[in-house]
Amino acid sequence: MRASFKLQAIRFALVVIALIAFLSPIAWTLLASVGFQPDNNTSPPSWKGSLTFENFADVGIAEPSFWAELATSAASAVCASALTVCASLPAAYGLARSRFHGHRLLSQGFLVLATLPAMAYVIPLSDLIRRLHLVDTFVGLVLTESAVTAPLAIYVLQGAIRQLAPEWEEAAWLEGAALWRILIRIVLPVAAPAAAATALILFVLDWNLLIVPLVLTSGELKTLPVAMSDFFTFERELEWPTAAAALTISLAPVVVLVAVFHGVLDQFATGIGSHD
Amino acid sequence: MVPAVLGLLASFTTYDPFGSPIRFVGFANYLSVLRDPTFTAAARNIAVFTLVAVPLELGIGFALAYLLRGPMPGRELCRVLLLVPWLVSPIGGGVMWHFLFGSATGIPDYIAGWIGQTEVPSPLGDVRLALPTTVAIEVWRMAPLVGFLLLPGLTAIPRERWDLATLDGAPLMRRVTEVALPPLGPLLLAITMLLVGFALGTFDAVLILTGGGPGTATETPALYSYQAAFGANDWHRSGAAAWLVAAGVLAIGFIYLRLSQASRRA
Repeated sequence: MRASFKLQAIRFALVVIALIAFLSPIAWTLLASVGFQPDNNTSPPSWKGSLTFENFADVGIAEPSFWAELATSAASAVCASALTVCASLPAAYGLARSRFHGHRLLSQGFLVLATLPAMAYVIPLSDLIRRLHLVDTFVGLVLTESAVTAPLAIYVLQGAIRQLAPEWEEAAWLEGAALWRILIRIVLPVAAPAAAATALILFVLDWNLLIVPLVLTSGELKTLPVAMSDFFTFERELEWPTAAAALTISLAPVVVLVAVFHGVLDQFATGIGSHD
Repeated sequence: MVPAVLGLLASFTTYDPFGSPIRFVGFANYLSVLRDPTFTAAARNIAVFTLVAVPLELGIGFALAYLLRGPMPGRELCRVLLLVPWLVSPIGGGVMWHFLFGSATGIPDYIAGWIGQTEVPSPLGDVRLALPTTVAIEVWRMAPLVGFLLLPGLTAIPRERWDLATLDGAPLMRRVTEVALPPLGPLLLAITMLLVGFALGTFDAVLILTGGGPGTATETPALYSYQAAFGANDWHRSGAAAWLVAAGVLAIGFIYLRLSQASRRA
């Protein structure tokens, strides 16, 4: 018993050390955003500064449209992730329940598609969007964000659906229920946690997407990553505390979302792993 | 799908998004890319980057999940905290590390201060250290995510199997390969596919951190493609370079498909 207690303590200590190592950069950023920075002129180094929220106000001065960009990012990521999950669910269901030769290959092909580099398709994609007169429009942004993340959604959702017992659906089929009724009444309620987990992960991916929104917009409609990259590629001056405040604001929504809904995220890992 | 196919076709032509006449040019675009020493440097960098980063991500991720698999105070909190580095966008991470490696505000200087050193130059400005540093930042972002994804599967393995292996006197490595790997196989394979695919396409973090420099020390093929398109307006070179990356991803994807078919039959 003593030995296992000791092992437990070692395990705990290792976890704490690992977390400190992985999270210290973020802690550094948070501290800088509220006014605390290390002072290396003293020996040993110390921390200086006092609690202030001015840096957050400075973000709006350095980038006047920052708050509008925040709203664009949030709205487009919400709409795109919801749209992708809704559109992918029937496809995933079809794949999960199909028995044709090569359906496995097809579903795993979606995983390969999900990692295709964006540069391989963004230029024709932007041409397509321009021909549809959707450049710099919210609709164009949502449609493309959701198209880009759809392969991953289909892959994960069909893995999750495969885990569900098919008896209820088969019973409903025999009674002559329509496909959409089966999807909404029988599949959706049991697949809801997996769908929520997928939507959450897609939200984070959409929120952090750079190249796709960059190519589709000409500066009038911007998401946060695009605005941040503009700052650096055009080499405008930005103070570290201001940048830290901007980073904190852009990180906060996703951290809160994940903290609140982390319970369902297991479903995502299950969806990735269960394809046999 | 359609833009991807169009992109592939366009990489063989003189297509650009401004409506100039389109001519078929065969592999000319590819040849001009492959002859460019910047691109070959980029290809070498991304190979090193992927070969170092992905095993580290898998190893550290597995170790984290292994440590967290049993009950422990604050386990749920630890699990959520594992996701936080990944929540920082590649761009945001680039901005953050750019400043953290800068003097006076950064972490290396702070640590150096404790051991009596004064100033550490940013490793991103050093030809030899720049690539390892970008690898470290990628591992920082992805390894905890791998840990998070492996955790449910690892927790689902019944305790008795670990205990049995321990009683048999198997050393830690053998216990891991015999008890944990068989049930986690498909998940690990899929995660590896994702990690390799994303690593091959790396460019947004590098764009902010180093812009590919110093020299071509951290140039990646995807960044090359980006710079060709938006820096030099050379859409042909851009498309060809992007499709060389895509060909790499598809080749890895093909291996992945073969491996997962094989593991199902075994």
